Amino acid sequence: MSLNDTLKNLRENGIDEAKRAQRLQELNDLRVNLLGKKGPITKALRGMKDVPAEERPEIGTLANNVKNDIQAAIEEKMDELNKAIVAKKLAEEKIDVTLPATKQVQGTKHILNQTIEDIEQFFIGLGYEVAGGYEVEEDHYNFERLNIPKNHPARDMQDTFYLSDELLMRTQTSAQEGRDMEAHDFTKGPLKMISPGVVYRRDDDDATHSHQFHQIEGLVVDKNISMADLKGTLDALCRHVFGPDREIRFRPSFFPFTEPSVEVDVSCFNCGGEGCRICKYTGWIEVLGAGLTHPNVLKMSGIDPNEYSGMAFGLGPERFAMLKYGVNDIRDFYLNDVRFLEQFKGVN
Amino acid sequence: MKISTNWLKEYIPVNHTVEEMANKISLTGIESGPVKLGEELTGLVVGHITSVEPHPDSDHLKVCKVDVGEAEDIQIVCGAPNVAADQYVIVAMHGAHLPNGVRIKRGKLRGQESNGMICGLDEVGVPAKYMPEEFENGIYVFDEPQKPGEAVYDLLGLKDQMIDIDITPNRADTLGMRGAAWEIGATYDEKPSFTEPKLINDKVKEFSDIDVAVENKDLVPDYLIRELKDVKVGKSPLWMQRRLWNQNIRPVNSVIDAANYVMIEYGQPIQAYDLDKLESNQLTVKFAENGDKLNLSDNDKVLDQNDLVVSSGNQIIGLAGIISSDVAKVDENTTNVLLEAGVFDGAHVRKTAQRHDLRNDASNRFEKGVDNGIVTEALTRATQLVDQTDSVKEISETIIGSYIEAKPTIIKGSVSHINHLMGLELTTEKMVGILERLGFNVEVDGDNLTVSVPTRRWDMSIEADLVEEVNRIYGYANLPNTLPAGMETRGGYSPKRELNNKLRNVLLGAGMDEVINYSLLNKKEVDDFNAIDTEYTKLLHPMTEDHEYLRSSLIPGLVRNIAYNQARKNADISIFEQARIFDRPTGQDRPNEVEYISGAVSGNVVSDSWNTKAQKVDFYYVKGLVEELLNNVNADSDFTFVATDEYSNLHPGQTAKILANEQVIGLVGKLHPNYQKAHSIDDTFVFELNVDLLFNLNKKSVQAQSAPKYPSISRDLAILVDKTVENGQIIADIYNNGGKYLKDVNIFDVYEGKNIKPSHKSLGYHLEFLNPDDTLTDDEVEKAFSLVKDSLVQKFNVEIR
Repeated sequence: MSLNDTLKNLRENGIDEAKRAQRLQELNDLRVNLLGKKGPITKALRGMKDVPAEERPEIGTLANNVKNDIQAAIEEKMDELNKAIVAKKLAEEKIDVTLPATKQVQGTKHILNQTIEDIEQFFIGLGYEVAGGYEVEEDHYNFERLNIPKNHPARDMQDTFYLSDELLMRTQTSAQEGRDMEAHDFTKGPLKMISPGVVYRRDDDDATHSHQFHQIEGLVVDKNISMADLKGTLDALCRHVFGPDREIRFRPSFFPFTEPSVEVDVSCFNCGGEGCRICKYTGWIEVLGAGLTHPNVLKMSGIDPNEYSGMAFGLGPERFAMLKYGVNDIRDFYLNDVRFLEQFKGVN
Repeated sequence: MKISTNWLKEYIPVNHTVEEMANKISLTGIESGPVKLGEELTGLVVGHITSVEPHPDSDHLKVCKVDVGEAEDIQIVCGAPNVAADQYVIVAMHGAHLPNGVRIKRGKLRGQESNGMICGLDEVGVPAKYMPEEFENGIYVFDEPQKPGEAVYDLLGLKDQMIDIDITPNRADTLGMRGAAWEIGATYDEKPSFTEPKLINDKVKEFSDIDVAVENKDLVPDYLIRELKDVKVGKSPLWMQRRLWNQNIRPVNSVIDAANYVMIEYGQPIQAYDLDKLESNQLTVKFAENGDKLNLSDNDKVLDQNDLVVSSGNQIIGLAGIISSDVAKVDENTTNVLLEAGVFDGAHVRKTAQRHDLRNDASNRFEKGVDNGIVTEALTRATQLVDQTDSVKEISETIIGSYIEAKPTIIKGSVSHINHLMGLELTTEKMVGILERLGFNVEVDGDNLTVSVPTRRWDMSIEADLVEEVNRIYGYANLPNTLPAGMETRGGYSPKRELNNKLRNVLLGAGMDEVINYSLLNKKEVDDFNAIDTEYTKLLHPMTEDHEYLRSSLIPGLVRNIAYNQARKNADISIFEQARIFDRPTGQDRPNEVEYISGAVSGNVVSDSWNTKAQKVDFYYVKGLVEELLNNVNADSDFTFVATDEYSNLHPGQTAKILANEQVIGLVGKLHPNYQKAHSIDDTFVFELNVDLLFNLNKKSVQAQSAPKYPSISRDLAILVDKTVENGQIIADIYNNGGKYLKDVNIFDVYEGKNIKPSHKSLGYHLEFLNPDDTLTDDEVEKAFSLVKDSLVQKFNVEIR
């Protein structure tokens, strides 16, 4: 057999063997066996000396091509086997993604605090400070400084837990107004504050009453505060809390510490004002009380009502949350059943 | 109070539905709702009973022939004891609808045909307690002939349409029809017109069989009496009766009804007394003597010296401004009557009425105030009504016990300031027009207004009141929406609140749910956890024993939450609360309010699942929560945990106090097994931290350092040591002797038991050394490590393993 034919045979067999290989090791062996220094190609090329000189370049080229072709066949097959190995591994590693996760639990903020913080953030954006206040308060600040002297009929509206003749559990976060006005330096600009916190009333607990609940008091005192400012502020608040399409309306009311005093209704977020069970078929839902700070209240804090005016509002986070999420029993907020609490994860 | 539109029509035109009016009144003045009586009623007509025969098969039923305006009388079987021939009655015809879905049908009663029903007032919608007593157990009978077949609704006020106004305490001026007419009139720009009451001149004489004295004129500014002689007491006319029962007032007789009617009409309570029943010819308003008795039909009230009474001799004839006693009650046999119109101090009336549980229509009006400009007129009106059927012979002039002439209130204001406070720019004409609509008299002097407010609006006293009146009548809906346009302000939380928020976020991040509990606890709960050893703070008048004391720890609330949840099969609970506790130092009335953050974990912290094994909470898990909280305080302070057994409801071997600079700032531990058992809860670990104390610690000043460029070298140390030696002591000693390159010490093994000397434990520590500026050599590390070991051997007698 001519050298030429030998080489061609080697190529044919080599490629064939590479194609038939089942394992990477076979291909490695094949490469060493066929293409190595001791392999048949090297061996065959030893017969080159018998080839006429003019044919040698041609044979040389052929020998190189044979090597390259076998090498290519081996690599191709290796690639194929490698892919199969990876594919097999991946197939083996397939898992059931519908099995439950390993829990990574974030706790749930109490829905009342979520509601309060949502409102706080709104007012912080408008430049309001969030102030604290005392839960045990003096009669003086809780009532008298709010223009509610002893025996004032308005004291009937809120039954009070007293600790002594002069100390009580505050019945309203408005109790903070006097303290904040006293402490504020008006030469440094207006007083703009909200005061969230717990208040107490001497009430029997039932689905709609709680002896303890939250309020957020708002107070702005400056030289140019008007009813229109109050309306604009509360309109923006109600849109923030209840949705951009909401409207508000004022109804005259009475609080001893504001004059004028208004109740604020928001258009029903459930029916949009058409009338439904939630708004008792009126299209409106009462959400908060507000007004211009009574001149007596300003005076008692050493503020001249001819120069300054104030606006104040008070709202109930329990009521907001009950309306917004359809909570029917105020006691649910204080029972702390985790199934109740956790349904509000991340709502605000 | 319910404002009947039929009545209102006497004063102002009424051109709108009650729904429209209630809505408009709500938006401009007083919260109101529409009331439509008897909407469901149909088929009720006047019947004239022409004959009554006994029922052949019944003892109590009667067979009546009734003229209902039809060609023939109809037959109706009736069981009422008071049915009789020639009565004019209410007939519910076949097909009539009565309240509560009752429908009348033709039928047979024990064999006798019955074509309808003869009704009692309560059957057609007048509540039994407000209908005249005489008809309580039977059918209603008209006093006077009516036209058979005519609908009865208007005669009896059964379909009255009303506006129910729910006043705020300042608007008691509308607790009378006339005041309400002014308010509603202003809303619709209609000026009400009233007829002044007139008495028949020649009956009024200057006489008085009674001396009237008021001992406490400061509490009784007005006290007026009229004496009415030779009065024939009868029934009041139907128009008055129906108005009364629709006001939830039972008609009684022509005198008492007149007094009640004037209260509704004018808002001025009137009392009536039988002159001949008085013990003496003195009528005195004064404080009662302790032990005096007020006779009332249902029960007597024992009075004391704080009660203002109307008396005659030793007789108490009334509690001033509230109620008359039974002793001088006007009845059908009364012939001489005293009518009283007074003004009594509201606060005083309120206290007395509250004390005796006697709050009523009269006391309600005095509490909130009455118009002292119409007292005289109201008394005259009551007199006129008693005499409306010419039933009085002689009427005295007004007898005065006390009297102060009422004057209008003058309020000064400025157009510009009022506009400024509203955020509007109304013209002077517009503003004056609104004030005049309200019946106020206005003088204009440039920008200045002088407003004269009639006595009926005693709620008005300052310019801000004018702002409200102008703004509400102009309409709040017409206000623009603006925001305060003052100097810029910086909004935000206080630094302490920021810390609270941060700590809450740490615990939320650790998977704990936030709870909110009541601040008021029962005695047992405050006793259970008084870790801060404070004086309790107690309510004077708690509603229940459950909420009587201010909490001095958040833990009792958390325990209650865990018990509540575990009783409902929520076994794995991890909760926290951030709130105040109340710490009252001895000798101080007012408790200090201290911010705390407190948590409780019970059950598994890792749940049993297909790929995880359940892991129960233990001390170290909760200690980890506490440490992470403390790390986030950013305090330049070392926190140490010191074992303690001083808290009775915590496990004596699994509880630590937490100290910062030797000050106790909190605790962490397991609940005592007995305490857990008493609350039926599983093993529970709790902690509490005083946030105020944490807040006051010096802040760390963080100076950035590059991450180290040189490698660290570590050494492991295994020691055998007496069981009583705490890890904290070992760690502290290692740090003390490890030299300046010792960066970190971690315990990686704790073992006692098998193969370990009795009462000893084996501990394994991992020490890490690092020189941030150079490569450490083994020699340097070995030297430090030896010092560490030597010290441990020396101090704690450890065995190095």
